[in-house]
This record gives sequence, C-alpha cells and structure tokens, in this order.
Amino acid sequence: MGWETWIIATLSRTLAYGTPLLLGTLGEIYAERSGVLNLGIEGMMIMGAYSAFAVAYTTGNPWLGILVAAVVGGGFSLIHAFASITLKANQVVSGLALTMLGLGLAGVLGRGWEGRPLFAAIPKITVPLLSDIPVLGPILFKGQNLIVYLTILLVPVLWIVLYRTRAGITIRAVGESPATADSLGISVSRVRYLCVAFGGVLAGIAGGYLSVAYRPAWTEGMTGGMGWIVIALTIFAFWNPVNGLLGAYLFAALYHLSFRLQPWVAPELLKAMPYAFAILVLVFVSRGTLQKRMGAPAALTLPYTRGEE
Amino acid sequence: MRCRPYVLMILVLGLLLGLTVAAGAEEYVPGEPLKVGFIYVGPIGDYGWSHAHEMARLICEDTFPWLDSVYVESVPEGEVESYIDKLVQNENCDVVITTSFGFMDGTLAAALKYPDKIFAHCSGFKRAPNLATYMADFYQVYYLNGLMAGALTKTDKVGYVGAFPIPEVKRHSSAFAIGVREVNPEAEIDVRWIYEWFNPAAAKEAAEALIASGCDAFAFTEDSPTVVQVAAESELISFAHYSPMYDFAPDYCVSGELVHWEIIYLDFLAKIYAGAYTAHNLETVDYWWLLQEGAVETGAKPGMMINPKYVDQLKAVSLEDPILGPITVYDLIQKRLEQMSDPSMIFDPYNGPIYDRKGTLQVPTGSRMSVLELTTMEWAVDGIVGAWPGEP
Repeated sequence: MGWETWIIATLSRTLAYGTPLLLGTLGEIYAERSGVLNLGIEGMMIMGAYSAFAVAYTTGNPWLGILVAAVVGGGFSLIHAFASITLKANQVVSGLALTMLGLGLAGVLGRGWEGRPLFAAIPKITVPLLSDIPVLGPILFKGQNLIVYLTILLVPVLWIVLYRTRAGITIRAVGESPATADSLGISVSRVRYLCVAFGGVLAGIAGGYLSVAYRPAWTEGMTGGMGWIVIALTIFAFWNPVNGLLGAYLFAALYHLSFRLQPWVAPELLKAMPYAFAILVLVFVSRGTLQKRMGAPAALTLPYTRGEE
Repeated sequence: MRCRPYVLMILVLGLLLGLTVAAGAEEYVPGEPLKVGFIYVGPIGDYGWSHAHEMARLICEDTFPWLDSVYVESVPEGEVESYIDKLVQNENCDVVITTSFGFMDGTLAAALKYPDKIFAHCSGFKRAPNLATYMADFYQVYYLNGLMAGALTKTDKVGYVGAFPIPEVKRHSSAFAIGVREVNPEAEIDVRWIYEWFNPAAAKEAAEALIASGCDAFAFTEDSPTVVQVAAESELISFAHYSPMYDFAPDYCVSGELVHWEIIYLDFLAKIYAGAYTAHNLETVDYWWLLQEGAVETGAKPGMMINPKYVDQLKAVSLEDPILGPITVYDLIQKRLEQMSDPSMIFDPYNGPIYDRKGTLQVPTGSRMSVLELTTMEWAVDGIVGAWPGEP
C-alpha cells in the first residue's frame, strides 16, 4: 500500500505539472531547430494564460479559451520573429524584450481579473475500466484532462515530423546551414517564421493550461518562471521531442517530490534539487566531445542574410 | 555669446537641483492636502498581500478628500531606497509607506536621509522619530480557524502550506496548531514550505503533497487562493488567507483570515492631518493591531465568520474546557472571539503554559508572550510535524 500510493501520487502530479513544461519545450525545440532562439516563452505563456482565462470566464467555454491562447501565443511570437528574422536583430535581446512585454502587458490587461473563480474549467477525466488498472490506472486515467493526453500524443508526432519527413529535414537544414537550404530553393525566413509561430502557439496553450485547467484562476505573474525552465529543458532534451518528454516529466517529478520529502530532507536542499539536477545535466552534456552529438543547431541565434557566409 | 548654451544648462541644472532640495526639505503642515506614496513588494493583482494594501489605499482615498496618493508595485526589496527617492523628490510625497518586512533597512536609511518626511513600515521593528511601524496580525484569527479545523478533520491530520520559515509564519502556524489541538489533542499539523510569497504552482504541489500524506483540512500563509482551490478539488475543507476567497470554494472554504489595513491607515493618516503625528514623534508609534481593533477579521468573506454549511458540524462537537466546562466547539469559538475582542483581552492563544514540540516549556503558566517574543518566535508548538528550519 505504502509505496504504491507514493508512486501514484508522484506520477499523477508529474503529468499535471509537467504538461505545460512539455508543451513549451516542444514548441521551443521547433523554434530552435530552425535556428531561432526564443527567450520570450515566459511572455507568450503569460499572455496565453491571461487570454485563455478572460475568454473562458466570459464565454463559459474553456476550450475556446485554449484556442484563443494558442492564437495569442502564436501572434505574440511574431513580434520576436519579425525582429529577429526580418530585422535580423539580436535574438537574445528580442526574446528578453518579448518576455518583459508579455509580463507587463498581461499584468495591465489582467487588472481586476484576479480573485474571480472560474467555474468553467477544463474538466478532469476519469476513464471507466482503464482507471481500475492497479497503479497505472489512477496515474494515467484518473483526474487528468484532455490536454495532458493530447500533449503526450504530440510527442511522437513531432518526433516523426522532425526526423522522418521532408518538412522536418527542411527545418533542420535551415537551422544547421541556412545558406545551403537557401541554395536549394528553401525560403529560410518562411521556415523560421513558421517554427517560431508554432513555438508561440504551444507556449500560448501551455499558459492557457495553467489558467483554465491547472489552477484554474488568473493572477498576475502566475507563470512564475516556467518559461525559463522550458529554455533549460530544451537544451536538456538535445532538441529532441522524446527527450523533451523525459526532461519535462523528470523535472516535474522532482518538483513535486521537493514538497513531499520535506519531513525527511532539509527543505532548503529540496527546493534547489530540481534546479541543481538541471544544472548537473547541462554541465554533463556540455562537455566537448558530447557537444557535437548533442545536436545543437549550428545556426542557432544567427540571423541569415543571403550571400553573407 | 558662444558660451550661452552652457550657461543656460548650468542655470537649468541649478534650478532643478534647487527645486529638488526644496521639495525634499519641505515639512508637512497639518491641515494642508496630504500626499502619500505606497510601496508594494508584489503586484497589486496578486489577490493576496499587496492586493489587500491596495484595497486599503483606495478606501483611504475615498474617505479623505484632502488625501492624494500614489503607489509603486513589484518593488525589489533591495532597491526600496531609490523608489523612496523618486516618491519624495519627483512625486513630492509627504508620507511614504513601505509594506514588506524586507523594506525595513532601506526605509530606515531613507527616514534618516529625509528627516522632515514621515515614514511608516509594515511588519518590521526598527523605528525613528519620523518612522513608525505597523502590523495587522493574524495569529488570533489563525487560532480560531484552528479550533474549527480540529473539530472538522476526520483523519486527524491537518495541512499547512507556509511561504517562508520566518517568525511571522511560524507564529501563525503555531497559533493555528494551538487551536487544532485544543479541540483535538490527537491531531497533527503537517507543514510544507514553498520558499516564496507568491508561486501558485509551488503552493499547488505543496498542497497536493499534503493531500497525499493524508491531510484533510488546510490552512496556509502565502499570497494566492491556490490551496483553497486544490483542497476543494479533492472535496476537502480549507481556510482562506488574506483576501475573500469564499467564492473559490463555497462548499469547502470554512472560514479564513481577512485583513482591514484601512483601519490602521485611516487612523495613521488622520493623525498626521490633525498634526498629532509629525516627523518628530513617531519613535514610539507601533501599531500592533489585532481582533479588538478590527484590523483583522475571521471569515472567508467579510461578514461571514463561519461558512453556514459547517455550523451544524461545529455545534455537534463538544469538549471539556477547564474553565468554561462542557462546551460545543461552535460556542467555544464565539466565546474566544468575544474574549479576544474585549479590550481587557483575558484570553490569548499564547497564554501559558505552552510547550514546544521538543518538550521545552516556552511560555510558563500565568504569562503571555510579548509582542517582541511573538515577532521573533522561532520554535514550533507541540503537534506540528514536518520540517522547521531554524528550530532552536
């Protein structure tokens, strides 16, 4: 009984908390694969969180909220795309600006929306029969919601697209060697625009998940730095969607355990545990010989101008 | 006339400097319009601490026609001095109110720098002739909530999510535990720390961890309604903190702690306006306001002390009090509220004898903890389980 309840509680919390991290990471993987680093995740997430809440609260339909969050996240990311792809601005600066803009804008728009309970939240699902399977049932099929499942499904889909389709090769080519891609007649800027927008869409949904499913409520600054964890997880994942799933869930499990284990381990240490773990792995994978195998896109953060290489 | 631009510039600069100095040195004349600047540590949209101060500021503006006020939100604790500079020099504020413990040293430094301006600092202990301190403290309200939780828990495990292991939160969770154990001597109070004032995700996972450990009633000290929501999702009861959170869980939010900062602000500002408080006599002004001053209130929303859904259950549980005799928990709560609201305050949760969880007698029989002892309290009362960083 004892260990079973521990596993069930930990893993079911892992899925719930890991989902927005995973969504953000999957989007950032695509953006970075095309050669654009987007540090604006936090800004896009919070914009998604606010717009999803506002729409779900006004219309009573949380799915409409998620849809709007996706559009807002995607639209918001175009600011970064325009600055870094068309204007060839520094990606780090432009991404940071996007985060600050998003946090500020959502804070201003969200005035007066805090403290309102959302009764039209995304419902939790308990799958009949499947939820009776021992251990696995309560983890996977009890009290989760549709977004959790769709996010898991998205992982193999995005992996296949990236590694087994022409579109994926195109994206990777643009991120590795934009000049070569260009000479093959691929529009570098179009591919990059699409990838950044896709990352924005997923970040927007991740934010929406927080405000209409995970919480569900709106408060200023509610993303609480999740966008930065996503940036680290993207590197951690070697820019691979499947590793992204492992990383996001591992981080989420440690995050939950950092509260669960408090009676036995010093809480100060536990608080640092998920982050220390992320740093350790980053140090490990960043060693010289691994660098190449890691799969960092060669043209990451480099704006592309035809004939300048 | 080649040097004219320079001359002009120097003139302008000199003028600006003169204005600044003049603005900084002017002392408030009682009866004149008063300008107050508020400095908040969090966003006013947090629906917790900063939100409550902002609500109070708006009430002050509505109440006093002679009052003009401005605020700055999300101010990092280490940078408060430069924000005070701006409020004094650019906004010409006569009074600056800083609302976080971490602003203490910065506010004191500013008070020494601007001896003619009036300052007030919330929750600290350092004062000056022009710097007062104030606090609306919840420990008595937490105790009353504890009485309810002790009667309503079925697993005899009560959960508490704390922001930081600092005296304020320790005093609150211990008062809560005293209430729980008075009704239910078997119950344990399991504590989790999130090391943040505002982080909904951390509060959520901490509450989930407590649910997984078997807790079925929840109180907390952090700045969001998350714990109330998480408990309600699992159909468990909770006690709101700071803002009216009843609407988040009308079926499960039993009571809570509500603050009325305006009670303190109205008093303080009216006395400045009347000339009773000046930049020279605040050295001993320390508001430590509790139930009897009306600065705090028990309830999940104003005017509703106990969720009507739980009144019958609280009337159904009784205990034997050494002084009051056999009494239902419901009546005990009313009695205690009455005792603590009375100016003579014959009862206080921190009346001795109180043992800490290591068995040391911390408050001897017949004595009561002083404000200083309460604001520096590090130990945990008996009944609390879980980590307790800084435990003596």
